[in-house]
Parts: sequence; C-alpha cells; structure tokens
Amino acid sequence: MEGVFSYAPAIAAFPLVAFVIALAFGKYMPKKGAFAGIFATLGSLVLSVLMLVAVASGEVYHETLYEWAIGETPSGIGGIEFTFGILIDPLSALMLVIVSLIAFLVHVFSLGYMNAEGETGLPRYYAGLGLFTFSMLAFVFADNLLMAFMFFELVGLCSFLLIGFWFRTRSAPSAAKKAFLVTRFGDYFFLIGVVAIAATFGTLQFAGDGSFVAAAEAAMDGTGEAWTPAGIGIESWVTVTGLLVLGGVIGKSAQFPLHTWLPDAMEGPTTVSALIHAATMVAAGVYLVARMFGYYALSPTALAIIAFVGGFTALFAATMGVVKDDIKQVLAYSTISQYGYMMLGLGVGGYVAGVFHLMNHAFFKALLFLGAGSVIVIMHHEQDMWKMGGLKDKAPVTYYTFLAGALALAGIIPFSGFWSKDEILFDAMIVGLEEPVILAAYVMGLLAVFFTGFYTFRMVFLTFHGEPRSETAEDPHPVGWSIKAPLIVLGVLALVAGIANLAPVAKLTGLDITFLQGWLDGEYGAVEGLTYGAYSDLLAYETGVIGSEQLTVLLAAGLSLLLAFSGAGLAWKLYNVPEPVAHKERLGSVRETIEANYYQDEYQVWLAEGLTLPFARAADRFDQTVIDGLVDGVSTGSRSAGSRMRRLQTGIVTNYAALLVAGFIALLVVLGFLGGWFL
Amino acid sequence: MSVGIEHYVLLSMGLFCIGLFGILTRRNALMFLMSVELMLNAANINLIAFALYHGDLTGQVFALFVMALAAAEVAVGLGIILVLYRNFRDVDVTVPTTMRW
Repeated sequence: MEGVFSYAPAIAAFPLVAFVIALAFGKYMPKKGAFAGIFATLGSLVLSVLMLVAVASGEVYHETLYEWAIGETPSGIGGIEFTFGILIDPLSALMLVIVSLIAFLVHVFSLGYMNAEGETGLPRYYAGLGLFTFSMLAFVFADNLLMAFMFFELVGLCSFLLIGFWFRTRSAPSAAKKAFLVTRFGDYFFLIGVVAIAATFGTLQFAGDGSFVAAAEAAMDGTGEAWTPAGIGIESWVTVTGLLVLGGVIGKSAQFPLHTWLPDAMEGPTTVSALIHAATMVAAGVYLVARMFGYYALSPTALAIIAFVGGFTALFAATMGVVKDDIKQVLAYSTISQYGYMMLGLGVGGYVAGVFHLMNHAFFKALLFLGAGSVIVIMHHEQDMWKMGGLKDKAPVTYYTFLAGALALAGIIPFSGFWSKDEILFDAMIVGLEEPVILAAYVMGLLAVFFTGFYTFRMVFLTFHGEPRSETAEDPHPVGWSIKAPLIVLGVLALVAGIANLAPVAKLTGLDITFLQGWLDGEYGAVEGLTYGAYSDLLAYETGVIGSEQLTVLLAAGLSLLLAFSGAGLAWKLYNVPEPVAHKERLGSVRETIEANYYQDEYQVWLAEGLTLPFARAADRFDQTVIDGLVDGVSTGSRSAGSRMRRLQTGIVTNYAALLVAGFIALLVVLGFLGGWFL
Repeated sequence: MSVGIEHYVLLSMGLFCIGLFGILTRRNALMFLMSVELMLNAANINLIAFALYHGDLTGQVFALFVMALAAAEVAVGLGIILVLYRNFRDVDVTVPTTMRW
C-alpha cells in the first residue's frame, strides 16, 4: 500500500481543479459547474478512503513536499525550515474521509437546492465550494503549523465568499464581513502563537522527532533547550503559546466569546451552512486542537481553560437555541453548543471522545442542515418554524432522516450522538471528581444536555408535527432525488456511526469494541508520539470514580440520558399539539435577554465603537499632527532654505567666474594663514 | 644662455591674469573663448618651463594633451555660441539668464 500515498496531494488538488474549472468554464457547462465539483469531491473521497485503508494496514505517511524558505542561524546549523508537507496518520485520514464525504454530499444536494431553484451566479457558488473543500482538505493533511495556519486563513476567506453569496441583499454581505472579521480577530492570536512557537523551538512540525511537541517535551524534561522571552519558565511559556493558538480555535470553532459570527452566517445558502458547520470552517478549530493535542497535554492550565470554555459555550449556546423561531438559527446555536462539547472533551483529556464527537457531529449536523435545506425548499424559502407544521406526512424522507439527526443531536440512545456525547461527559466527570474547575465545566455540559433535547425537539415538533400553519405548509413543493439521496446516506450514518466506539458497552461487558480508540491509539498504525496512549502519558489529570468504574459509567450515561429525555419530553408536551403556541412569553424578562443573545453583539459593538474607535481616533490624530508635522516640517524647512539659496544663481556667467576666483583666492588666503606664509 | 625659471613663471602668471581679466570684464561670448584659451596657454608655458627645468618630458606631453583639450573645448564652445545666437540674436553672456532655475 506504500504507493497509494504518492497520490495524497491529489486529494486536495481535485477540488482546486474543480474551483478553476467552475470559475473559468462554469457558465458554459451543464448545471453551471456542479458536475466538476461532484466528480472532484468524489475523487477526493475515493482517495481518502484509500488513505484510510492504507493507514489501517499499518502505513503512515509523513513527507515534506516543498521547502520555501530556510532560516539561517549564526552558527549555520539548526536553521528553521518553512515547508509544505503532508502528514497522513489515523487522525488526518479519518478527517479527510469525513470532509470529502460531506463535501461530496453537499455538492450533490446543491443540484436540488441551488440549480433546481433557479439561482443565478452558480459558477461562483461552485467555485467557492471547490476552494472551500480544497482549503479544508489541505489544512487537514498539513504537517506543520504554518501550513495549517495558511489554509486556516484560506478557509476563513472562503467562508466570507460563500456566506456573502447573495451579496445583493443587505444582510448577507454584513454577515460575511462579520464572520471574516471575528474569526480574523482570533487568527491574529494564532499568528502570534505560530511565531512564538517557531521562535521558541525552531520548528513547526506536528510529528516526528523534530516536532515542536517533542521539543517542548524535551525542554520540560530538561533534556532539551528552548528560548523563552524574559526568562519565563518553559511550562508557563508553553501555556501562553498554546493559548495564543487557541485564540484562532475559539474564533473558528465559534466558542465564547467569539461565537457571534456563526448565527449571522446563516445568511449564506443552507448548503454552505451544512459544509461550514459539519466539515470545514468550524470543524477546523477543534481539529487543530486534536492535531496538536500533545502540545496542549503538556499544559494543564491550557487544557483546563479549553474544558471550561467548552463547557460554558455548550450551555450558553444551548439556552439561546431555545427561543429561536428560524429553523436555521436553532441549528446554528446547536452547532456552537456541540463544538463546546468537543472542546470540553479535548480539554479533559478525552482525545478519543472529542474526535469521536467531531465525527458524529459532522454526520448528524450535515444531515440536519441539509434536512433544513430540504424543508426550506418544501416551504418555498420560508424559514420561520411557526409557519410550518404538519410536514411529517407530506415529506416522509425528509422527516425520518431529520428525526434521525435530531435524535443524534439530542443524544438519545442508540443514535451516534449519544455515544460520543456520553463519552465526553464521562471523561469530564471522572476528571471533575478530582478537579473543581473541570467539575464546573462538566455540570454546565450536563445541563446543556437538557436544553439540547428541548430545542431539538421543539424544532422537530414545530416543523413536522401538528397542523399546517400556512398555505405553503399545506401545499409543499416536491423535492428531487438529489436532495433525498444525501439525506438518506447521512441519516443512516447518524444512526450507526456510534458503533465506531461503544465505550460504555465495552466498559460494562469487557468486550473489545472501542474501534476508534484503537484506531487513534495506533493499533493499526500511527506516527510515534501522535497516539492516544502517548497523549495520556503526558496528561497530568487525576481521575476518580464513584463506587466502581461500571457504576460510574452507568451513572454518567443515565444522567445525560435522563436529562436528554426530560428536555425532549418537555418539548413533546409543549409543542407536539395540533395548534402549538409560543410559550416563551412565560419566561418574562429572561426571554428578552436570551432573545437578544445575552447582548453579546451589543457589547462587542460597544467595545468596537466605545473603546477601539476613540483609541483609533487618538492614534490617527497623533499620526496626523505629530508624525506628519515632523515630516512636513522637515520638507517645508528645506524648501524655504532652498528658495533663499537659489538667489545665488543669477544666470550670468561672469558672476559665476567671479565667485570662482573669489573662492579660490579665499582658499589661498586661508591656506596661506594656516601654512604660515605671511609670517 | 638660459632664461631663469622665474621669468617663465612671471610670463605665465601675466598671461593667466590677462585671460582672467577678460572673463571677468567682457560680455561677448567669443571674447570668453579667447580668454579661456589664454589661460590654458599660460598653464602650458608653466608645464613646458618646469619640464625643461626638471629635464624630463612629462610636462611637454601634458602640454600636448592640454592643446588637444583646448581644441575640443573651442569646438564645443563655438557650437554653444552658435545656438546662443540663434535663440537670442546676440552673443552677450548676460542676456540668457532664463536657464538658471
């Protein structure tokens, strides 16, 4: 299987070619370039699966393809190298398959969602999707932090292009700008982090002996050397650099407080939302944490912050999802919340749990968004859930697949979301028994399960159950195979993907069925040091149990299931009626706060306008007066001196000759005096 | 009978001063050229006189160079004066002052 890895660059190259084709020739092609994208992502998917098989057979691939700059050190050795390279290990192979699968299904779905609906500007749309897929795939197999950063930025650019696809509306361009600026704000810290890591360890590689993770570990053991500014200890410096990189993660993965761009990003086409939320953009942040998990594992402080931010975001976003009327808004907040769970899982050292949830979430969130897209087509582009209702019988394929996604999202056994969410909460619980901060994060994550169950089923009941509440709901628009087929594929995956890692069952019965854990632990093949086992050795967490391990497992699973069922049950009671009414008025003043999204946008606007703007004005004034005054003063001074001096130039040759002679005589006299001729 | 070196220097100095006087007082561009020629030849006299005094040929060789240079200078100078005359209908050097800034 060695030879298959030489095709690895093609995984990313296919969508790039599709981008060029759609942009250049999309106008003249049938379906405006859709087929280029479909075949390209299908090619990527096939190659990714081949990579997965190759990794499963025990091979890994780590190759530098191109070296674009080599730094010099005074001693001439050990200069830092900036390279493009490919790293294919269990984690990236898994992620490649997920990304290319979702991208493929989104392309197919677009045939029904964009082409059939008579949208204009389709070549631009397919070009954007192609570039988006390319950036994400290249980001996933990047073997060093700088390359990852570059494609991270490119992902941000693509999201800007696609969220602002309908640029003639008022809201879409502003949402696109917001998404770009907010994530860019986080990426600024990421960039500083990249520079700091490069300066400290002299390498940006993820894997191998020459990786910054290995260098950091060696420096902490005292066997290696690393430069730190102002002589701070290496432990705190690793924490600081890790947190700087985390800034980019928080921006991209929409964690508190940089989550505000994501709900607005719903202005883009629903297919784009599916791609952004499930496989690209938002997943990029969490994937980055998983990619350099060894580095975070060295810093308990950074991990605790990741866990706490994750837990808080999970609860925070889930409460906001409860009151939304727009079907896509509910899904947007659920995405923020679910990525919070992944951060919580990674933060408590549950590397496998976090990656597991990333995978499951990719499937069920793509399913839910595509399902919502299908509902929007059925409803003639109506997104308000209060105008829907009763779609259950009229669109059975959409209903049952959407229901599968909703059950997975709410974490109902045996759908995929239950297994991964439960594993995250279990990992958080056993660490939380020893560490109070983690316990707080765990409690928040646990409470969020209730809200997740509630808003998910509120959405399902309002959309599909009850009586139709508008004319379009009574007379739905039919949907074609290109919409149904991706939904069915993802619906099946949302149901069965949990089989990959049935950790609670394994712990209770002792069966060896935790395939994903084995996969990430390098049972089949992995780069040394990038395995779950290696990370676990680095972690400084103590874990506790309640009673026995079996009892703890049952307790954790039971608690989260109980809360999920009670949330879903409350939604069933309130909204599964023929004529549901809005119950949120009963919340009183709390409702206003939640509907205003806890005034997050307001305070960020205030920060920008009340704090940054005056500061920028002051800086501008300083620039205009002091700096420009200095420069202008120099030029004005020399100009006026020049205009006086030029009077010397009369234009009469005789005067010049006289000046020459006079000067010569003066020189002679001076030299004479100095030389002592007249004495 | 040989003439003392001081006589040559005095002759050269006199000739140079005549040339300098011409440049400082005359306004006719042709007179300028002639004055410059005088000054160059004053320098030539010096060069040859000291060549004789020191008994080597270096000064004479340089005098030849100066003559060639003077010829070239006159050629260029006459060209400039011709253009000057075409533009200003005059060869007075105090007239074309517009080219200063």
